[in-house]
Amino acid sequence: MSPRAEFADLSRELAGVFSEGVDRPLTETAFNDLALRSFAYQVATNPVYEGFVRGRGTSPEGVGSWQDIPAVPASGFKAVRLVSGDPGRVEKVFRTSGTTAGARRGEHYVLDLELYRASLLPNFLAHLVPDDANVRLLSLIPSPVELTDSSLSYMIGCVADRVGPGRAEFYMDAGGRIDHGALRHALARAEAAEEPVLLVGTAFALVHWMDAMNEGAWTFRLPAGSRLMETGGFKGRSRTLPREEFYAALTECHGVPTGMIVNEYGMTELLSQFYEPVIRDSADPGLAERRHVPPPWVRTRVLDPVTLSPAPDGSPGLLCHFDLANLGSVCAVLTEDMGVTVDDGFRVLGRSTGAEPRGCSLAMDELMSASSSSKEVRP
Amino acid sequence: MTPFDGWTVPAGAGDRLGEERAEAAGGAIAYPVLSSDAIRGLCSSLRDSREALLSHAVRDIAASLGAVGARFGSGGDPLREEALSLLPHMAGLSPAMAELVLDGMARDWTEPRLLELLEAEFADPRVLDAFQAGPRGSSRALGPPFTLHIGAGTVPGVSVTSLVRALLVKSAVLVKPGLGDVVLPNLFLRGLQEHAPEIAAAAAVLYWPGGEGSTSDAEAAVLAEADTVIVYGSDDTIRDVRSRTPASARMVVYHHRLSLGLVGAEALTGEEKARATVASVARAVATFDQRGCVSPHVVYVEQGGMVSPAGLAGLLAEALEALEHEVPSGAVTPEEASAVHQIRGAAELRMAAGEDVAVYSGGEAPWTVIYGPEPDFKASCLNRVVRVAPVRRLVDVVPHLVRVRRHLQTVAVAGAGEAAELHESLARAGVLRITGFEAAPWPPPWWHHDGMGPLTTLVRWVDAEE
Repeated sequence: MSPRAEFADLSRELAGVFSEGVDRPLTETAFNDLALRSFAYQVATNPVYEGFVRGRGTSPEGVGSWQDIPAVPASGFKAVRLVSGDPGRVEKVFRTSGTTAGARRGEHYVLDLELYRASLLPNFLAHLVPDDANVRLLSLIPSPVELTDSSLSYMIGCVADRVGPGRAEFYMDAGGRIDHGALRHALARAEAAEEPVLLVGTAFALVHWMDAMNEGAWTFRLPAGSRLMETGGFKGRSRTLPREEFYAALTECHGVPTGMIVNEYGMTELLSQFYEPVIRDSADPGLAERRHVPPPWVRTRVLDPVTLSPAPDGSPGLLCHFDLANLGSVCAVLTEDMGVTVDDGFRVLGRSTGAEPRGCSLAMDELMSASSSSKEVRP
Repeated sequence: MTPFDGWTVPAGAGDRLGEERAEAAGGAIAYPVLSSDAIRGLCSSLRDSREALLSHAVRDIAASLGAVGARFGSGGDPLREEALSLLPHMAGLSPAMAELVLDGMARDWTEPRLLELLEAEFADPRVLDAFQAGPRGSSRALGPPFTLHIGAGTVPGVSVTSLVRALLVKSAVLVKPGLGDVVLPNLFLRGLQEHAPEIAAAAAVLYWPGGEGSTSDAEAAVLAEADTVIVYGSDDTIRDVRSRTPASARMVVYHHRLSLGLVGAEALTGEEKARATVASVARAVATFDQRGCVSPHVVYVEQGGMVSPAGLAGLLAEALEALEHEVPSGAVTPEEASAVHQIRGAAELRMAAGEDVAVYSGGEAPWTVIYGPEPDFKASCLNRVVRVAPVRRLVDVVPHLVRVRRHLQTVAVAGAGEAAELHESLARAGVLRITGFEAAPWPPPWWHHDGMGPLTTLVRWVDAEE
């Protein structure tokens, strides 16, 4: 079969899997089968990945389990172009946020936006509107029209077509400026009309928004059924808040209970996302006890940071994802995020857990352009 | 394991610290939880003892400090043995590296080296004792009444050097070491308390977790007490301490520093010479597991030697592997291990993409050599991860240092030939020290540390005109 036909075939099959939604787990055998076929396809069509795999002394013939498929480091998306298929048919290039001038940004080449859409929608809907509620989507994430190379903006754009009564309303521009007045009016209108709201934003955007609310002494008691999705970290783009404080402030400012606030963990390098299933389960175990769950087409392993072999159950390690939605690039991605396995998901422990820096020669973020991957702040 | 007591204070002052203790470094270190009053009490006791310190001749102080310092280099001495037993765990170094570092640091704490330092800094070191007549009247150099040292903890022993410098200029001193450097200053001061209690009475070592949090009030109190604040650390630490230090206090700052190596074609005229050169390059990279501000991050290699820059990268990998057996690397944090995987993997991908890149690594050992053609200076993630890049002539490296000019420190050079032009270019580029690879980890005691005289930068001159 030609690579293009193989891609079309696998895509179709994966889209079928995605359309089953997140409630039907794939069996290990089914997942493994799809993973091995995707791996073989990627090695056959992506010479860079092929060289990488060969350099690791392996090949599709030598791999029987998806767990043995070599993972590329997330920072690899900054170093090379990872396309599994004809680079001439790339539909979209998503880029990681460039927080530092001059630093190279990670690039995710997407061959099939339809597949991205098929993966993100059921997962988002299952975790943010499992009740099919008629919520108005208000976004502190710039629109995909404004921020054309952001996978997060693209995602919100897709979601907007499926949620709520009308168009999505975007209140942050590509430069990160929030239209405070407009958002204030929209929230006030929703409050008055008893129209539940789904407010989405990055953590730093929400902090800036709440700072403005405090200044203006505005608060809202959004109607029951309103909910919030926050994503990304602060990463020097606003003041940093401990999570408890951040969520308490979100509740205080918007009248949305903690159990209706969901964190999305995603990265440009992965076309699938991870959510905390608190709305979906109608149960919040408390912020410290929350976990993120992968959709059935993603498996996440926790690896010993030194040896990269699986960490013992319950021990922290590096998160390594195998995301079938990444068919057009590379499915197996090793992140820089620490986490721990929890039930059917994992808890993200962040990149550094308060360790004192190692002083005078500690490598500075801005100088380490080869190392840091995008992690949180996607737009 | 019983935690190590992370504090040493003058006899009698201990009572003021109160009873409450906390632990750090996973229970390896205990420290007193101080109230602002307690720390002010300690500061004033140190200040009071400065009077006695002023009455000692600087040569006698150097002799006393040197006597204690020498114990750390003397095999079988209980102080050295205790240091060697604690350092691997507390500083995250292998036992062999701990010994190498202790030997290197302690060399500069001996009397002859301290006298050398005094003589390099002052035409007549007795200006620290009394007015000395000169051709234009007489002058006197006085250290600050009270200095606070905030250490980084990157390299063990740096806090001792800092403590020693303060006592040489007869300043009462409180050292707050970084977490990785708690052992040596405490042991040193305990040795000094035994040997020269009157001098030791003006010094204290006290660990507490810096920055914000439960200790921030006490920290604010001590920052308010200090006449001079000497701070080592990341740019963030410096910024933070600076923002909380009273405007009237003097600050001496040792911020982030980055070092590099230059290997000229003359050092690569034959296989044997190349191997000898590479062995010293590997040692400069591996010492302190590359955490020193003097540790090279990038090694630039001149083209045209018998060994090519890419060939040198391969030899360097062999040398680092050999060193891994002789002086193993210490434990790395998960974040550090992760950074190593990311850098290696990205380099492997570039290789696979057909770029002129090579990557060599120690597997589970963190050492990594990445050869690549681009000459930009990129900081390493440390733990013996080094880049090798080709340059046509060594001096061609200069434009690539512009971006890091404020952070440049040591350039280790081998085989540069007639080097005056190179030295001048490096100096203008912001470099602070030019040396050989062998000497790179061990600056002499009299070096202009980050461009400043280590003692002259502390003193205030008083002139009595005729």
